[in-house]
Amino acid sequence: MSKSETATDSPGKKGKWTRRAFIGAGVVAGSALVVGVAVRQGNPIDRLSPLLTDGKNEQLLNAWVKVDTDNIVTAVIPHVEMGQGVYTALAQMLADEMDADWSKVRILEAPADMQYVSDSIARDFLAPNLEVPAIFEPTVSGGILELAQAMGLQFTGGSYSVRATGQRAMRTAGAAAREMLVAAAASEWQVPASEITTADSMIIHAKSGKSEPFAKFALAAAEQSLPAKPTLKSPDKYKIMGQPKARHDIPEKVDGTAIFGIDAKVPGMKYAAVKAAPVIGATVTSIDATTARTMPGVLQILNMGDFVAVVADGYWQAQQALNSIDAQYSKTEGDGLDLDAIFARYATSLDEAGEDGGDMETEAGDVGKAFAGAATKVEAEYKVPFLAHATMEPMNCTAWVRDGKCDVWSGHQAPVNARQAAADAAGLPFEDVTYHNAYLGGGFGRRSDSDAVIMATRIAKATGYPVKMIWSREEDTAQDHYRPSATSRFRGGLDKDGKLVSWDNIHTHLFDPKDAPTIPYYNIASHKIRKVDVPMHLRFGPWRSVDHSQHGFFIESFVDEMADAAGKDGYAFRRELLAGSPRHLKVLDTAAKMSGWGSALPEKHGRGIAFVPSFGSIVAQVAEVDMTGAKPKVTKVYVAADPGFVVNPDGFTAQMESAIVYGLTAALYGEITLKDGAVQQSNFHDYPMLRIDEMPAVEVALINGDHKHLGGGGEPGLPPIAPAVTNAIFAATGKRIRELPVAKHDFA
Amino acid sequence: MLKLIHVIALSPLFVLAACGADPAPGPVEQIIVREPGAAPVATAAAAVASNPASALIAEGKAAFANCSACHAVEQGAPNGAGPNLVGIVGKAAGGVAGFAYSDALKASGITWTAAELDSFIADPAAKIPGTTMVAGAIADSAERQAVIAYLESITAN
Amino acid sequence: MIQLNVNGQSKAVDVDPATPILWVVRENLEMTGTKFGCGIAQCGACTVHLDGKPIRSCSTPISAADGKNITTIEGIASEDGTLHRVQQAWIEAQVPQCGYCQSGQIMSATALLKENPNPTDAQIDAAMAGNVCRCGMYGRIRQAIKAAAGIGQPAEQETVA
Repeated sequence: MSKSETATDSPGKKGKWTRRAFIGAGVVAGSALVVGVAVRQGNPIDRLSPLLTDGKNEQLLNAWVKVDTDNIVTAVIPHVEMGQGVYTALAQMLADEMDADWSKVRILEAPADMQYVSDSIARDFLAPNLEVPAIFEPTVSGGILELAQAMGLQFTGGSYSVRATGQRAMRTAGAAAREMLVAAAASEWQVPASEITTADSMIIHAKSGKSEPFAKFALAAAEQSLPAKPTLKSPDKYKIMGQPKARHDIPEKVDGTAIFGIDAKVPGMKYAAVKAAPVIGATVTSIDATTARTMPGVLQILNMGDFVAVVADGYWQAQQALNSIDAQYSKTEGDGLDLDAIFARYATSLDEAGEDGGDMETEAGDVGKAFAGAATKVEAEYKVPFLAHATMEPMNCTAWVRDGKCDVWSGHQAPVNARQAAADAAGLPFEDVTYHNAYLGGGFGRRSDSDAVIMATRIAKATGYPVKMIWSREEDTAQDHYRPSATSRFRGGLDKDGKLVSWDNIHTHLFDPKDAPTIPYYNIASHKIRKVDVPMHLRFGPWRSVDHSQHGFFIESFVDEMADAAGKDGYAFRRELLAGSPRHLKVLDTAAKMSGWGSALPEKHGRGIAFVPSFGSIVAQVAEVDMTGAKPKVTKVYVAADPGFVVNPDGFTAQMESAIVYGLTAALYGEITLKDGAVQQSNFHDYPMLRIDEMPAVEVALINGDHKHLGGGGEPGLPPIAPAVTNAIFAATGKRIRELPVAKHDFA
Repeated sequence: MLKLIHVIALSPLFVLAACGADPAPGPVEQIIVREPGAAPVATAAAAVASNPASALIAEGKAAFANCSACHAVEQGAPNGAGPNLVGIVGKAAGGVAGFAYSDALKASGITWTAAELDSFIADPAAKIPGTTMVAGAIADSAERQAVIAYLESITAN
Repeated sequence: MIQLNVNGQSKAVDVDPATPILWVVRENLEMTGTKFGCGIAQCGACTVHLDGKPIRSCSTPISAADGKNITTIEGIASEDGTLHRVQQAWIEAQVPQCGYCQSGQIMSATALLKENPNPTDAQIDAAMAGNVCRCGMYGRIRQAIKAAAGIGQPAEQETVA
């Protein structure tokens, strides 16, 4: 990857997409020959080519792949890299179908361009007569999400990239490109295409001994008709998929050259520190900037209505001056609220819904009858708190609004949304905004919101010169879009044999995915699941695994309680519930076997199991806890995961490790509380993170259970960890944790 | 304005802003102190230590800038990442109300004499393994003495 | 004017002496490999070496570096560009995910190994506990530190059924 290009390109450069320079994912320029490709009228390549290629030595074959004179194949990735390894995994999928030489594959993030947000791209990138991939893809979990959405909104989230964009777009594009190259060679060599093979970016005709690089036929390839139905490989032919290829983005992340949003460099740029009204929804009624205006480096002090900004020569100067400002805020309805009051609201709403109220999400059988007739009845209520994302890179954005143009630099999970948000904030048309995306210093859902982009654009519009706005960690913690706090109530019934026959659940909020509270994989004859909505002044945002993060805990805790009530082992009980689903059972069994389930543990040690399919992947985890010390210590986590097919085993394993730490941090410590409507936590001392000395050993087993239906990787590792740990604590101590975080509870 | 395709959003939060939305509000109040590139307004010379009694204390106060990100030294000011240090000299370790100390520090049994502070600040983790004070070590002995002198000067009213 | 030696090069900066080293390095010297994470020495993303010792540059004023040597992530590879063995081990173990904390992690790890070429697990934990990795790559960090130190350990178990 070329690193020679830096972010100092003039951001105002007209009509030229400069973000590739910004992210440092370089375009390798060849030497002489222009490798051309004829472009159909109306084909997006027409428009995309100037954005994606150097216009000399490189040419697009279609919207997703280009080949240059040095036979470098570049995959154009319509997703953002936030550590999940998506650049590499998607490139593996394209390169494998294309038979590209992996060592000569490069990666380019797609521009925040409407061509990459159009659902028609799914057709246009190949040919109008190509069999269109199903627009609506029913997910394994039952929800309906549009394929075009992943490509369409150019959104990265929902563990969606590999399973949708990779499966449907990248592989098809790679296969089509390969067939076009083969057809071009067949025509030139006057041999049947069927006699031609490809390997390592070479086109080979064994009979005649001819062999040429892809680059030689790139021009002619484009004149071939586009294949209507490119043939995809069967798994036994995969050469690059399924391999633990090293991630492309790692080298620049160990030498300080990787450019994140906060690293944007714009000539003449100044810095802004911001403080929003502590209670969301309040406005800044007045500011006293007497001291701030005398402080060194200060350029401007802005009351933006909903927040205060100080612009200075340096960020630290801006922040110091901001700290000296005394601001007054308007009163809001949220002012008097604290966490207890919020949970009391939830309780009231749930009480009001009673046994039959609320919105029905799913229902089967007759729960009323089944519960009435149950031999054993169990009721339980669980609570989880608000959670902040706490990305390592605090929220930030650099913006420059001048002469009817706007440039924005940031790391965003939905670059097109960010571009639109900046356009609206600047009062400019979408086309006059250039959005430069960078690496994300953690996304986890937080960077799917555009609040920082809007704030920075408004500041920059007011100043007229480029401004880099950086949130302090305190601001980042107190002004997040939180994972909602939630309460969930269950009533379950067992028959005389200890079989789970009735499941009645009602919970607060339903956000996404819609199937998160449901348990279609568990065989329970009568069940109904309902929700109530409770209004709230805080802003909610998607937080890694979204609703599964709380429902995984709720469901798997209650299943464990039911197992206990039935006098059964948690693993055996789940096996009964999964009877008839061999793929699910295999995952559960694998985790249990790895952990030595059933074998003796020392006193005050315990094992807990949890099983949560989400985002198309099936994950089971067994956690081991040591309760001998002052606080719980999670010593080991065994993971079995079946995402259908694992494109990059090392990358997928890393995602499991990562999700476990993210989920374990929340389970043990995570809690955002409110006082007088404002968030009380501010930084890592009062919103603590799991650190290396608390890191459990993690062992991961991967299962390829269905290569046709891929699941996601970024999120599914998270939901099982909290219940696996609390179930283990129960096994070790007999104490059932019904409210997170674990740190709230005393084990002395 | 360009028309965006409205597809089913993953959640309501992701719904794209409506076309033709009004620009976000500009500033309610805009104080322009100076333009970029203009010479900085002369600011008061750095405040001289208000208590000239001891040059050492003044030196310690300056060096304490290092510590003030975590420790407040104003009476009644809340604890930060570290405890409020008003009256710390002579106090038992773990004795500041409302601060969540590490188990190690609480159990240390130390009373913060100048000598104990000196060895702690020199290398906190070596003195009390397990302390959450992971930054702020002062290698320079003279600087430590100055900081401790400064801390001694800050007593509860 | 404050005199610094940054990665072997003399620099003079005209800034408020109370400015944290972090912002001088990032803004005045335009070296953005060192990251801002918390501002109060709780996360370690800003770790640099001051005369060879790891410090949190967000909470250390530039005045403390007057006349001293600062080493940042940009300065630990050899002059010929060969990566430091810790950086190499980081690539080998595929440590970074989002990568934002990694400059600080690597600076803490290089300082540890300089001080203690054969750290135990407990010593690694103690030296690295000040560095938060929100992507949770702690297991790989341990593994990479051991690899860089030449401490053998069994490969991570991984099975594909």
